[in-house]
Amino acid sequence: MINYFTSHFDTLRLEFWPLLVGGLASGFIYAMVAIGYTLVYGVLRLINFAHSEIFMSGGFASYFVIRAVIGTSQPSGLESILLIGLGVVSGGAAGALVAVLVERVAYRPLRRRKAPALAYLISAIGASYFLFNLAGKEFGRYLYAYPTIFVNHPVFTIFGAGVQMYYVVVAIAGVIMLITLDRVVAKSKLGRSVRAVAQDAETASLMGVNIDRTIVVTFLIGGALGGAAAFLYGITSGVIYTMGFTPALKAFTAAVLGGIGNIRGAVLGGLLLGVVESLSVAFVQGSYIDVAAFTVLVLVLLFRPTGILGERLGRSA
Amino acid sequence: MSRWWRRPSVVRLASSVSVMAAVELVTGPPGSNAAPMAGVSGSFAEKVSFFGLFASPRWSVFLVYALVLYGVWSLWLHRGRQIRNAASVVLARPRNIAQRGTIRWSAAVVLVVVAALLPHFVSDPFWQTAMVEQIAVYVLLALGLNVVVGFAGLLDLGFVAFYAVGAYATAWVTGALPLPPLFGVHLNPFFAIPIAIALAMLAGVLLGTPTLRLRGDYLAIVTLGFGEIIFLFANNLNGITGGSAGTGQIPHFSIHLASIKYVWGLAPVPYYYLTLAFVVLFVIAFSLLEHSRIGRAWTAIREDEVAAESLGINPLKFKVMAFAIGAASAGFAGVVTAAQTNFVNPSVFTLYFSINILVLVIFGGMGSISGAVLGAIVIQTVSMYLIHTPPAGYQPQDLYIYLGALLIVMMIFRPSGLLPSKRRRREIGLAEAGEGHMDEVLTGDTP
Amino acid sequence: MSDDLIFSVKNVTLRFGGVVSLNDVSLEMRRGEILAVIGPNGAGKTSLFNSLTGVYQPQEGQILLSDGHGKTVSVIGRKAHRVSAMGVARTFQASRMFSALTTFENIKIGAESHKGIGILGAMLRGPRTRRGEHDSDARTIELLDFVGLRDKANVISSSLSYGDRRRLEIARGLATGPQVLLLDEPAAGTNPTEKLELTELIRKVRDVMGVSILLIEHDMKLVMSLAERLYVLNFGSVIAQGTPEEIRSNDAVIEAYLGSTTTTEGK
Repeated sequence: MINYFTSHFDTLRLEFWPLLVGGLASGFIYAMVAIGYTLVYGVLRLINFAHSEIFMSGGFASYFVIRAVIGTSQPSGLESILLIGLGVVSGGAAGALVAVLVERVAYRPLRRRKAPALAYLISAIGASYFLFNLAGKEFGRYLYAYPTIFVNHPVFTIFGAGVQMYYVVVAIAGVIMLITLDRVVAKSKLGRSVRAVAQDAETASLMGVNIDRTIVVTFLIGGALGGAAAFLYGITSGVIYTMGFTPALKAFTAAVLGGIGNIRGAVLGGLLLGVVESLSVAFVQGSYIDVAAFTVLVLVLLFRPTGILGERLGRSA
Repeated sequence: MSRWWRRPSVVRLASSVSVMAAVELVTGPPGSNAAPMAGVSGSFAEKVSFFGLFASPRWSVFLVYALVLYGVWSLWLHRGRQIRNAASVVLARPRNIAQRGTIRWSAAVVLVVVAALLPHFVSDPFWQTAMVEQIAVYVLLALGLNVVVGFAGLLDLGFVAFYAVGAYATAWVTGALPLPPLFGVHLNPFFAIPIAIALAMLAGVLLGTPTLRLRGDYLAIVTLGFGEIIFLFANNLNGITGGSAGTGQIPHFSIHLASIKYVWGLAPVPYYYLTLAFVVLFVIAFSLLEHSRIGRAWTAIREDEVAAESLGINPLKFKVMAFAIGAASAGFAGVVTAAQTNFVNPSVFTLYFSINILVLVIFGGMGSISGAVLGAIVIQTVSMYLIHTPPAGYQPQDLYIYLGALLIVMMIFRPSGLLPSKRRRREIGLAEAGEGHMDEVLTGDTP
Repeated sequence: MSDDLIFSVKNVTLRFGGVVSLNDVSLEMRRGEILAVIGPNGAGKTSLFNSLTGVYQPQEGQILLSDGHGKTVSVIGRKAHRVSAMGVARTFQASRMFSALTTFENIKIGAESHKGIGILGAMLRGPRTRRGEHDSDARTIELLDFVGLRDKANVISSSLSYGDRRRLEIARGLATGPQVLLLDEPAAGTNPTEKLELTELIRKVRDVMGVSILLIEHDMKLVMSLAERLYVLNFGSVIAQGTPEEIRSNDAVIEAYLGSTTTTEGK
């Protein structure tokens, strides 16, 4: 037993910095997906079960766009940067489109009827099931690997650990998008109405906030972030019709960990989960890593369902 | 508001076209790795025969369908009320008759007799096997999940776990697992029935006790995750479960009583009767349960947990009980499957499976026993038919697309299902009229 | 704590995040009395009820409950269903019936909630189960008669009038066999005739059934005619207590009501 721990702690000590960097990169991706859960939860008080497929749509869309643009060329320098931008934009656009469609088809008719919460969950599960199986049929049940967009060499080293280009790309793209989102929600008129609806939908509607439009906007923003995150995720993990399931479950864990309904909490939860998961590689066999992430979810839900920062989308961010 | 694209007729037309475009995609040819866009483009461009008159691309045919849909929809908006009223006048008498207790029971008896005679009319071995493995077993599973989702109102997305426990327990006590059976005794699957049911119920209690404190939507995610964990364990614990290859050599059921010797063989019909007997047992037990104290307590908790608790009902206890009781029939279904097919393999125990069972219950009617049975029979028969005689371009996995769409359609148009339970129908009606607290219980807004 | 007291609340403070809902509240309720808690909206009355019934868990203080047989237990730390088992029944501000069930079924759920349960017994309908069902049915009919809802026994509860819903809730609470019944604004939404009948019913619950009554009410006329003693809450604190006469002439109370509204009417 002691041997087990000393040897595993050795791995942890030697590999700490590379694992941390990798964990932070996947943390950014979880954070971006987690925001989709948190925003929708804020306005509807419901978990959007179809968010995993919004993610998946972003992955496929950006893959096909990038593949068409690259062809057989070997991009470098400015081309790579433009391609990354293109991937983020096309993934985000597809994610946003599918999110709005899901709201339109699976949520809005139920909202009109004031259906009980169980009905929303079931209809969202139906949407998720429909979408990923449709993707499986249309694109084949096959893992597509991205063509090379940039050369993934170490850019610089921290504490002896080489930080690869991929991590830098994810971190930069993630930080830009998260800061933009935070500003939009905190400052713009759109963001104000989102916060108003999150706090008290009835009063907000009396004050002249268009609830339907605000809900569409939250799906749109969450979908765009999720779709863009799927591009960043797909660069290394590839694209397949079932790709949404595991990252989305983890992102949901991150959202709960940070306090569902709380945007900054989602970011914190995402980064934390990414790092914890990455470091647990030192202790847990590969096939059980998902079990570790999931155990975190169950423990958080049982012992601190309001998360680290608590629910506060409605309150001043 | 007066912008042209917001006018109801325009929205209706656009919706009709979108719905048909979706149908076009779903029913169109599949894509492949070599040509990932072939599915999408083929769905619209492929030429089909237009009512046997001339060949025309799919998009034009579906455009005609969309216009028909638009027409029917518009007609329904203008005349729907009259049609519905006329229908309810016509149906009022049969409906009243159908609700009489004696009629319901005699209908059930007739159904059982029909079910018992069915194997004599079905000679196709495909259908004989399907009747056991795909229909009777699924009826059992739908009955169990109906207790959890329908009676207690708990959305369990990991229901497959209990089925897996039943199947692996059978493999274990009959000595087919790498894990040696208790006391080294290899038992006949008949003895596996009580053990598997008990273990499945125990699994229900173990999974339920921590998770059933959670609100409805969190519970759904946690059960989904537990289902996946069970799969991961079954798939990876080679020394216990046999890993991803699973395990074979599970013996058939057999009776050795003095001079009576009977072994259930490879032929499915004997299994059909065995399962049918248990279906009848479970139906009787669950309907007695529905109208017992426990059933009333479930309804109370489902409708208003706070009020129920103020009356001294311990919500957690009754929820765990629902999990355990639902698990019992799933555990038994696991025994039948394991014994009939002689092997257990983790690839069955996935999220797909849990969702499929959920569709059966939702389609039939949450909380309605007859609904669960009918839902399972109808959906499983259709899906088996699609496998037996597939339409052009149909792949078995396409079924899930239709099931997903069915869930959405049911929630939009008939949330209480095909054969709704009386209580459930009232509840949904009340929630929509702004009465009742069902919503509050599920989203748990209490601080 | 003596058996004469049902509830003994000592220095209870309840907070939600930064909001103090109850602030150092102390209160005693005697066995057999009709006690009222009044106060302006948001004064913490319903929070007090929820703390007394185990729905909320106050952070500070003590809530002791006597079971009438010499045993005293703490409410804090006990779940609502355990508090119910100790003989505390309640109604809710916005009535919360099981709206898809009939009046009869609603009350029966109360009548059978404290009996032992067996899954097998329920499925097999053994003699014990049948006897239990029979007892609960008898008790339910008795209570239907008591509150005057016998003719509406098989009506779906959501189609009852406001007044009848209150009766149903009272009967359902009584069905659990309580020593004390907590009524959260029983007269809200009822018309004057129903209000009068309700006053009669509440008094009858105490006099005939021997169940003590603790009520929250906005309707001053009803409270003053019904309650023997009152506590006044304002901003989560007790600002006065005493008989109706004492309360009527209490300066702090007049201040609280006049200060928070512009009319002299308490309602």
